[in-house]
Amino acid sequence: MIGHRLADRLRTLDTSRDWHIVILAEEPHPAYDRSALSAYLTGRTRGDLTLADRDFLADARVELRLATPLARVDRTAHVVVTRGGDRIRYDALVLATGSRPFVPPVPGRDLAHCFAYRTFEDLDAIRRVARPGAQGVVVGGGLLGLEAAYALSRLGVRPHVVETAPHLMPAQLDPGAAEVLHRRATALGLRLHCGTGVAHVHAGPDETVRAVTLGDGTALDVDLVVFAAGIRPRDELAEPLGLACGERGGFLVDALCRTADPRVWAIGECAAVQGRCHGLIAPGYAMADSVAAQLTGREGQSFDRTGDATTLKLLGVHVATFGATVHPGGPRPVEVTFADGIARYAKIFLRPDTGTVLGGILARDTTGSTSPLRSLVGHRPPADLERLLLP
Amino acid sequence: MNRILVVGGGPAGHRLAGRLRHHGASGPVKILGAEPSPAYHRPLLSYILSGQADPEALRMPALPGIETHSGAAVTHIDRVRREVHTAESVHGYDVLVLATGARADVPDIRGARGPGVTVLRTVADCARVTGDTVAVLGGGPLGVETAAALAARGTATTLVCAAPHPLYGRLGESASALLTDALRRAGVDVLAGRTVTAREPGRVLLDDGTRVPADTLVLCTGAHPEVRLARAAGLRVRTGIVVDDQLRTSDPRIHAIGDCAEHEGRTVAGIEAAWAQADSLARVLTGQDASAHRTTPAVFRLRTRIAEVACVGAAGAFADPALRRLTLADREGGRYARLAMSGERLVAAVLFGLPEAVAAVGELYRRGQALPSDRLQLLLGGPPRPASTDLDPSEDAVICLCNNVQRRALAKAWRAGARTVTALAAATRATTGCGGCGGDVAELSARWAREMRYDGKRTP
Repeated sequence: MIGHRLADRLRTLDTSRDWHIVILAEEPHPAYDRSALSAYLTGRTRGDLTLADRDFLADARVELRLATPLARVDRTAHVVVTRGGDRIRYDALVLATGSRPFVPPVPGRDLAHCFAYRTFEDLDAIRRVARPGAQGVVVGGGLLGLEAAYALSRLGVRPHVVETAPHLMPAQLDPGAAEVLHRRATALGLRLHCGTGVAHVHAGPDETVRAVTLGDGTALDVDLVVFAAGIRPRDELAEPLGLACGERGGFLVDALCRTADPRVWAIGECAAVQGRCHGLIAPGYAMADSVAAQLTGREGQSFDRTGDATTLKLLGVHVATFGATVHPGGPRPVEVTFADGIARYAKIFLRPDTGTVLGGILARDTTGSTSPLRSLVGHRPPADLERLLLP
Repeated sequence: MNRILVVGGGPAGHRLAGRLRHHGASGPVKILGAEPSPAYHRPLLSYILSGQADPEALRMPALPGIETHSGAAVTHIDRVRREVHTAESVHGYDVLVLATGARADVPDIRGARGPGVTVLRTVADCARVTGDTVAVLGGGPLGVETAAALAARGTATTLVCAAPHPLYGRLGESASALLTDALRRAGVDVLAGRTVTAREPGRVLLDDGTRVPADTLVLCTGAHPEVRLARAAGLRVRTGIVVDDQLRTSDPRIHAIGDCAEHEGRTVAGIEAAWAQADSLARVLTGQDASAHRTTPAVFRLRTRIAEVACVGAAGAFADPALRRLTLADREGGRYARLAMSGERLVAAVLFGLPEAVAAVGELYRRGQALPSDRLQLLLGGPPRPASTDLDPSEDAVICLCNNVQRRALAKAWRAGARTVTALAAATRATTGCGGCGGDVAELSARWAREMRYDGKRTP
């Protein structure tokens, strides 16, 4: 998605038509909207989800090579070599290799009917097994895990969701907001197991999944397992290329997405921007836009997370975060929470000295808009704050 | 002429007598008080302990024309002859009012009834708190006020309470934790989650085996309505002396008010409720007002200098999912508030370290008035803040977060002819990321279309 975004952006900005863009794609399809994958499972087609429109595919400046993974790179000669042996010279190399699903190292994780949730192929495989009435478990209670669980439930599978943290979506939410999501998930038939992990996947006589055991001893009879327990950046090219990695993986780049090699950039989930990887679409797009600008002689936007915001609709719950929601090191912010019934919750963080908004977390029904929230950051809360948060 | 006799020399009886005269009761009014001194402001006893005030300063104003007997402990009520007996004298009545208050509980601790142990209910009790080290048992308001007062006078003070923090049940986890912090800063050694099991010479023994030095052990472990006289007289008694809406006991000539009375199935301790009942009864007895006594919403405030703490309503409200709730936590600034609301009405509140809010919130609660819509300003004070609609240059508002599309860009595209969500998406990329802003874009598009219909010239 991020590579496609870069190419698309470059087409627009490169008015003097200086660039020829070669896209080496590992998958056999043009880029598609991964964030809408669940829709594919429940009826939409690959064509519906594709990001490459006719203009893009017809653009002579773009050379899209599908199912063509990279084998090696000669940085001195500025040449990449595909696995098929083709040599392609480059002036700029942008790594947008994304990430791979993290599968916790539990016994039985390689059994048939253990799936990831990332590609059309993963979902085709899930659809073959997920018959109505089948039992399933999703490992991971984050955004992707809940997406997967909801999609399974739409296929007639009543899934278990296992999350090692004490509550759902621990990367984004506090316990109060997670509670809203928890209730909604439970009402939709998801069976949640928080604060424990999968300890063992057991095989049946046909060598497919039969059951899982959780860390707390719970045994679940299931027909399939979907691993959605986070992602790891695909940085395996770093070593052969001699590029540095971030502490927790990913090609190490500066705020402008530059590696130590002035001809090599990294964007999206594979990039450790100033040491940190980012797993959502918005930061990835921001990186792509920045590099496209730099390649066309413009000033690239430094990647800055402070104004960041996410807004997600999940299981019929609107989950949003804006501004800073974690505050390591600094003085503890003033926390103000609003709760209405059991289905609406919001928290904002205020600077203790100035009383201005640092950021916030929101979980509520999908009525009303969350887009004005980001403009709260840096200001004192307005008089109608409560109405804005919980309209 | 109606003779009104009040049994009980505390604040309730004193208030009643004053209000009777205010409403023009001209008959004889007599007060029999068991304590050796006339009425004083009992809730402020801790001021005597800290040395902030001497007993004289707490004394309530003398009541001209009221016959007040101190040291007159009533032993017996004769309802047939309408007489009340003390050890020395007999007093007749036409109307009898029991304002006997409450009696401090003494827990079942070895040595609790021996020397160096006292409850804290009277001026005389204060004088029994002696020595350089004192242990206070009980995490209620009295225990906290007493411990803080003793620390203020320089006594090495330990507060022992069973809950994780003092006032835990009433304030909740966060605010009661702040209270523990404040007590410790004031010099009180807070030993929570524990209780005293025995009184030993010069110290007390705790249930975890700790021994705490204590010249005096002060028991602040609750109180019960003083109902012994009423029960012996055959009046209806449950927890307290049962009274109706005219504050009448089961004998129509006898009334009860204050801590000893049980109205609408509840006994309510504290001076605020006692005074409200005294006011009501004075009106009843002077025929001012036939209307029934109604329990008024009480505002609880901790009487100590170490922290500004107040709460209203029942703590259970904060766990009621039917209510709207607001919490403000400023751990570093030592401030905390929580509100539970039904619609715009306040059901319960806890306030810590927010002195201005205490006055405003307390008043709104007592009057049952609607809260202002800016609750944050109510709690934090300061000048009124503008609403977001005045503040936010909405043209700059980012509608599509994934693609960083501002409202301005959407408006421009709309003017250029993109009149559907699909067309706006194609022109601006809005909605093509996570899709979360689809509803916003549709709403904007519809609004602009409406505005066009009403006013052909107007454009977004």
